[in-house]
Amino acid sequence: MNLPNYFLADLPPEAMLSPALITEACQTLKRNRERYLASRSTNSLAKVLSEVAKGWLQADNPFRKLALEVGPAKTGFSRETLSKGLDNFFRQLTPDNFQMLLIQEFGDAVSVTGDGCHVTREAVSSCHLPLVTRHFWRGPELLIHITAGNIPNPTLISIVFGLLARSAQFVKCASGASFLPRLFAHSIYDADSKLGACLEIAEWRGGNADLENVLFEEADCGTATGNDETLEAIRSRLPVKTRFLGYGHRVSFGFVTREVLSSFEARQIAARSAEDVVAWNQLGCLSPHVIYVQTGGEVSPEKFAELLADELEQREQTEPRGELPAEHAATIASRRSIYEIRAAHSPDATRHWCSKDSTAWTVIFEADARFQMSCLNRFVYVKGVKDLNEMLQNTEVVRGHVSTVGIAAPEDKTKELAMQLARWGATRVCQLGRMQNPPLTWRHDGRPALGDLVTWTDLET
Amino acid sequence: LSLRNDATFNTLALELFALQFKYNSAYRIICEAQRRTPEIVEHWTRIPAVPTAAFKELELTCLAPSERTAVFHSSGTTKQKQSRHYHSAESLKIYEAALWPWFEQNIFVNSEFRIQNSELLILTPPPAQAPHSSLVHMFETVRQKLNGAESVFVGKLTADDTWTLDFEAALVALNDNSKLKTQNPKLLLGTAFSFVHLLDFLAENNLRFRLPPGSRVMETGGYKKHSRTMPKDELHALITERLGIPQSYIVCEYGMSELSSQAYDLGALASHRRVSLLCSEQDAGGTPAFPGYVTRHFLFPPWSRVQIISPETNREVADGESGLIRVFDLANVFSVMAIQTEDLGVRHDDGFELLGRAQLAELRGCSLMTNSAIRNPQSAIA
Repeated sequence: MNLPNYFLADLPPEAMLSPALITEACQTLKRNRERYLASRSTNSLAKVLSEVAKGWLQADNPFRKLALEVGPAKTGFSRETLSKGLDNFFRQLTPDNFQMLLIQEFGDAVSVTGDGCHVTREAVSSCHLPLVTRHFWRGPELLIHITAGNIPNPTLISIVFGLLARSAQFVKCASGASFLPRLFAHSIYDADSKLGACLEIAEWRGGNADLENVLFEEADCGTATGNDETLEAIRSRLPVKTRFLGYGHRVSFGFVTREVLSSFEARQIAARSAEDVVAWNQLGCLSPHVIYVQTGGEVSPEKFAELLADELEQREQTEPRGELPAEHAATIASRRSIYEIRAAHSPDATRHWCSKDSTAWTVIFEADARFQMSCLNRFVYVKGVKDLNEMLQNTEVVRGHVSTVGIAAPEDKTKELAMQLARWGATRVCQLGRMQNPPLTWRHDGRPALGDLVTWTDLET
Repeated sequence: LSLRNDATFNTLALELFALQFKYNSAYRIICEAQRRTPEIVEHWTRIPAVPTAAFKELELTCLAPSERTAVFHSSGTTKQKQSRHYHSAESLKIYEAALWPWFEQNIFVNSEFRIQNSELLILTPPPAQAPHSSLVHMFETVRQKLNGAESVFVGKLTADDTWTLDFEAALVALNDNSKLKTQNPKLLLGTAFSFVHLLDFLAENNLRFRLPPGSRVMETGGYKKHSRTMPKDELHALITERLGIPQSYIVCEYGMSELSSQAYDLGALASHRRVSLLCSEQDAGGTPAFPGYVTRHFLFPPWSRVQIISPETNREVADGESGLIRVFDLANVFSVMAIQTEDLGVRHDDGFELLGRAQLAELRGCSLMTNSAIRNPQSAIA
């Protein structure tokens, strides 16, 4: 399948992007939005997106096929990892889930049906007449996304939200990271060319001021993913009128309570932990660096590490990690060698399990409970703690930078744990095994998912 | 007895391995854990290599505490755990005996100028200010070997103990041909980042030098956190432009505090020799853009061996493939002969090409939520 040249990212690599080209693209996007998108009903947009997603889940879908055939070379993920990651993503885009999202974000089903307005009636105590307020929301005219390269989901979901907000969108992908966003955009174009005409996908190495300045000038809202410096650099260059939504890097970890560490259950929980490590090769902000395991259960933290290693080995057979660039493999090998030395010198404090003849997966058990950044690509730490408090003390260094805590706990304890984690500052608590697979209603960094994009007008009558 | 002969090397390596196994207890534990002990290992390639990072955690030495008269630390900020390579008077003698002949052979290759006439300009702090730098010790050794040569250390320490340059002193040294009224060639020694500092300063002040014919540069090492990074070819082109030293007289060194021998890119010099015949030295100063930068291949001295190890399989890669550089250095008598670096290289039949460092930060001890850790989890180690 050859993709037509709809987007800048479709152009051959030798085609030079110029500021004039970017300006022209932005203006075309705005015109198209006015003609094709501004008056669309939210429901019809959700319907198109649900249909597109349904298509992606079909084995013979040309975009899916292309993603799985060419994707491994383009993205570094194995076919199986891609397939699972994309399936999990597109399964979320159903009419029901869109409905739930819109209710969550806009609070009233009226907004879903058509014109982006809804009505509330409030009894105002100071006067006897009920006050009727109509609320209108509108999305940005031109929404730009500056995306990071690690995994495709954040970019894809940004595109979805932007369409729901009826915004024209310019997606600037990190260099080498436009393949899947491009395919997704093509699939939207294929389903509804008018919507596709309100999308632009381009790729260049971040920091190209010539291109970015004209882009920033055209936008009225911008999202960006990246490290603090990148975000600050973008924020400082955006005009004041432009709303900026920056998503900094986050880390995540898991927590297993002692009650669920029976020898039977522990194996299942290890499998769920493996799921989170394997998903997108652990490269997302939602992937766990460390699995904290409470001591005192039937299965010890160290034994749990071994179970996790078994599971990762099994996953490697069905969902291989895929090849890594030499420098990333070298990082894993170098780090392993240090733990090997430590394990030789203090076998009680450090143990390591490694895939044979490859860097495909690594499990490190450490008695030292301090949070440890992983080098990712399926390299995970297991650490024992006596309770949640001890875990929180040891994760203090990443406090404020934590996205997800994946937990495995008895049902009656889950809520209390989640409350404590919420007070501590985690913005998402989920079941282990679902860390890298948030629902459509997930609030990125604890911010409104769709709500952050729109602007309201209140009309009081 | 030729060390280029593998059988000879093997015999010596196994002998040294047995000694280190016996006297270096931290190393012995590692070997035992790997089940590779002197009774089992029959070839030097099977001798357990110790990762450089282990020098930060363990006392990898055969020297009793009372015998240790010097210690070399890896460069890096003082906040990080530093690696410790202990030396005694005897081991320093070996270190010095190992560094000089290979230095001499590589730095003065193809030179019609007498070594003793070179004037030394060293871009590091002097030994008194950097007693734990193996590099400074090496430069000091060179200085002593070039007995009588004009020499000056123009590096200094900043308040937070990082290295910087005394630009005034550097300018004086670069200008100074007056003392002897001769045109002695100059030999500039320094780290890549010290040359960047110097070149930035020269550019800011719009200064250019044409150092006397035969002058040369030896630069080494990465940039770490010291300055902006600059690709080698750009750095070398600027050295040519600002100092008038042709590419063929710029030598790269690869070494580390955990080793006692150094590698130089002699192969590059050999290739450059042909190029410098084409564009003669005289006009090299005026043409900064060097045509056809040649990939430089490093070579360790005959008493060392290098293997490029696949990070995936832990086995040696084929020619032309990349992997982690492992060095077997017979001059590392009192520590560990077999060192596994975190540096990536490409294997070639005439040496290895240096690619860079695996992105390995500190394990423990540093504030791990520094920006860099959060910014790039793949590179951040705590």
